[in-house]
Amino acid sequence: MTLAFLNLTWPTIANGLALGGVYALMAVGIGLVFGVLRLVNFAYGQLIMAGGFALAYGAQWGLPNWVSILFCFGVVLALSVLMDRLVFRPLRTHSPAVMLVATFAIAFLLQNVALLAFGAYGKSAGSLAELNAPWDIGGVEIKKIAVIAVATAVFCLAVLQLLLTRTPLGLHMRAAALDFRTARLLGVRANRVIAGAVLISGAFAAVAAVMLSATEIQVTYSFGLQDTILVLAGVVLGGLNRPIPATLGGFAIGFASGILGGVLPSNQSQYLPAFLFAAVIVVLLLRPNGLFTRATGAVERV
Amino acid sequence: MKSVRRLPELLAPVVLVLATALLGLEVSSYLQAYFLDTLVKVAIVVALYLFIGNSGVLSFGHISFVALGAWTAGVLTVPERQKTIVMPGLTHFLLTATVGNVASLGLAAGVGLVAALVVGLPLMRLSGLAAGIATFAVLEIVNNVLNYDQSLGPAENAFSSVPSTTGIWQATIGALICIGLAFLYQRSRFGRMLRATREDSAAAAAAGISVHRQRLLAFALSGALAGLAGGLYIHLQPLQASNLSLELTFITLAMLVVGGSGSLLGAVVGALALNGLYSFFSAATNGVDVLGWQLTVPTGTAEIVVGVLMAVVLVLRPSGLTGGRELSLPRRRVVADLQKARAPT
Amino acid sequence: MTTLAVEGLSVRYGAVEAVRGLSLEVQAGEIVGLIGPNGAGKSSTLHAVMGTAPVSGGDVRHDGRSLVGRRPEDVARGGVALVPEGRRIFGELTVEENLRLGLAARRSRASGSGLARAYGLFPMLQEFRRRHAGALSGGQQQQLAIGRALVAEPDVLLLDEPSLGLAPKIVDVVFEALGRIRESGLAVLLVEQRAQRTVAFADRSYVLANGELRLTLGPDDASDTERLVAAYLA
Repeated sequence: MTLAFLNLTWPTIANGLALGGVYALMAVGIGLVFGVLRLVNFAYGQLIMAGGFALAYGAQWGLPNWVSILFCFGVVLALSVLMDRLVFRPLRTHSPAVMLVATFAIAFLLQNVALLAFGAYGKSAGSLAELNAPWDIGGVEIKKIAVIAVATAVFCLAVLQLLLTRTPLGLHMRAAALDFRTARLLGVRANRVIAGAVLISGAFAAVAAVMLSATEIQVTYSFGLQDTILVLAGVVLGGLNRPIPATLGGFAIGFASGILGGVLPSNQSQYLPAFLFAAVIVVLLLRPNGLFTRATGAVERV
Repeated sequence: MKSVRRLPELLAPVVLVLATALLGLEVSSYLQAYFLDTLVKVAIVVALYLFIGNSGVLSFGHISFVALGAWTAGVLTVPERQKTIVMPGLTHFLLTATVGNVASLGLAAGVGLVAALVVGLPLMRLSGLAAGIATFAVLEIVNNVLNYDQSLGPAENAFSSVPSTTGIWQATIGALICIGLAFLYQRSRFGRMLRATREDSAAAAAAGISVHRQRLLAFALSGALAGLAGGLYIHLQPLQASNLSLELTFITLAMLVVGGSGSLLGAVVGALALNGLYSFFSAATNGVDVLGWQLTVPTGTAEIVVGVLMAVVLVLRPSGLTGGRELSLPRRRVVADLQKARAPT
Repeated sequence: MTTLAVEGLSVRYGAVEAVRGLSLEVQAGEIVGLIGPNGAGKSSTLHAVMGTAPVSGGDVRHDGRSLVGRRPEDVARGGVALVPEGRRIFGELTVEENLRLGLAARRSRASGSGLARAYGLFPMLQEFRRRHAGALSGGQQQQLAIGRALVAEPDVLLLDEPSLGLAPKIVDVVFEALGRIRESGLAVLLVEQRAQRTVAFADRSYVLANGELRLTLGPDDASDTERLVAAYLA
């Protein structure tokens, strides 16, 4: 079934939703850490990259899929904690500009370590490639991974929402994101809140790595990089300092990217990044506080 | 009349650059390539400093001006006969127009200036994170277009047949022009006004300073210098679009930060020191002689060293090696103390 | 043992000394006032107790244990609660969520009693508990801020200018609540701009000017305006 006016087919829409879902998770990951630390983690993509390599090793060692995935989670969470201890903590008292450049440095560093360790061609993480095969749904062929990605994203976001609204830790995190100083004066433990944000952020990065590895089987040093850049743009577009708009922004850019990738003729699709970033600039100019936020933007420290 | 006190502020970077140039003349032509690369990097980092150091606004997009300058100078200096062979897709105008070396550099600076004006006009209204992301978007757009558009240049292929006209003297003069202009700017009232907005933009605006206009001026000037540097760069190495994007952005930003983003001396020191290290470790991938010891490192070590150094400096001394200070006599401590006396966190 | 003791406290921000050699004490069951002109160092004193201001000398003790150098959340968990200047409630959270935040510092396991205490003191809070805190009026927000501090069942309650920006009727409500709090055995240190009312209400009031303790007043001195003014301007 084709929608007449564009080259828009159901599989394309499904892919758009799937990419939107994955990007939404990434947006949440970045947004959570920003909320409590006022730090934009440029190196988020490297967490995904590390997850990708973990999956590749799992495939190489012949581990069953679920073990590979657990290993992926382990690696990503460990790296997240390490990043927090070595980089975020000592920099917490410095200016946001310094923190921005520092995470940029970490991103660059990790990329080159991967390049050094795994070479330009990287490793193959083919264990989930079978999910690229399509399901027949009502006569339309939708990729299995598209359905799984959307379902996983919805599930993760739902669980997170429950955590944030129904548990004390979630409440503490929300308060810390609004006014960390006052929250601490009330007894909210800064270290716990930050650890919580870092771990959840890492977990979502691991999920993203698993989802992305199904379509992008070859894991290289730049695995997840382009996606992270787009998500960052989407988060800023949506409104960095508010969690729901940020997530919507990430979803929007993922969805747009997926749709446009399927709709644009191939000689124009290579300019897809340029289109998307041009849109980012336009939105930033019109609504510097984000598309989905109300006019009064909250204070950002940069 | 400029007070004599200020002279060391200009002389220190100039002397450093001249020393580098003279050293570069003495070494073998294999090593000289690294010196030339360093001098071009000095030009780029000084261009970055002119805007970032004085305005306090982060820009991730300057390398796009370097790229545009490189493309301009490159396409216009490839001999016409070669152009039809290596870049057949070029628009007719670019295919037939060929200029001399110096003219190409001037045009490169001009293109950089115009591009920065066009980009800066809307973008300089933004600040902080939004400006960072927006300039990053510009980088991505320019990189994307230059990488695929065959009517503007070699697209995905490396530039070839560009005359290698960037020698020690040309590179040195280029770097000195950038340093000289940056010095004149920061000593001018425009530079002072912009620095006032860096400290407290609300107060500066209340004092009648047009934040937007001053930022735009600095952005345009730094775009011109970046374009010039790009022109020098393309005449040094056969570059590709991928050489002029995220990685170069990171490295030049690292040089500025490590040297000290608040001062011209910092920009120069950072570029010289970091590119020196980078060159050393790049050369070491083929084996290098250090005081009688043979040192060989795996490829990619240079990037890692630079990355680690940048991270370490940021954690231990975020104001950089020079602490954001110029060389002048006597040193001014008042502002630093006033900042400390402000409310705590 | 003194519930809250400040001994020779000095607070310094860079080159600026906000508090110089201040000593005072608050016992359980009493309200001590801290008054003085703007910039006298009253807020800085409270923040020094909580650990959010740089202490350059002296000590602060809660039940004999020193608080200096401890993290703010640990001070709070030790039983010292601050009602900050400007209330600083979380406008985007509900009233109940704001109160639940106060539970972060509680020392006993039972969570029900904490909220009940706040609702008991300010019944309005129970009525509005599902509303976003930002929708409350200034006076209601102040009640919320105080209630939130009490939820953790602290030993010491610090208040930073609670009557700031409130209408006189609401100020009455706040002071009346403070009276009931005093009866429950807390040690209360009250920083205020309204000098006369505070001096009349508190068991004892300290006058701070230029970072130094100038005068100690009792409730009987409340009508002695000359002495008060002299102390402020000294």
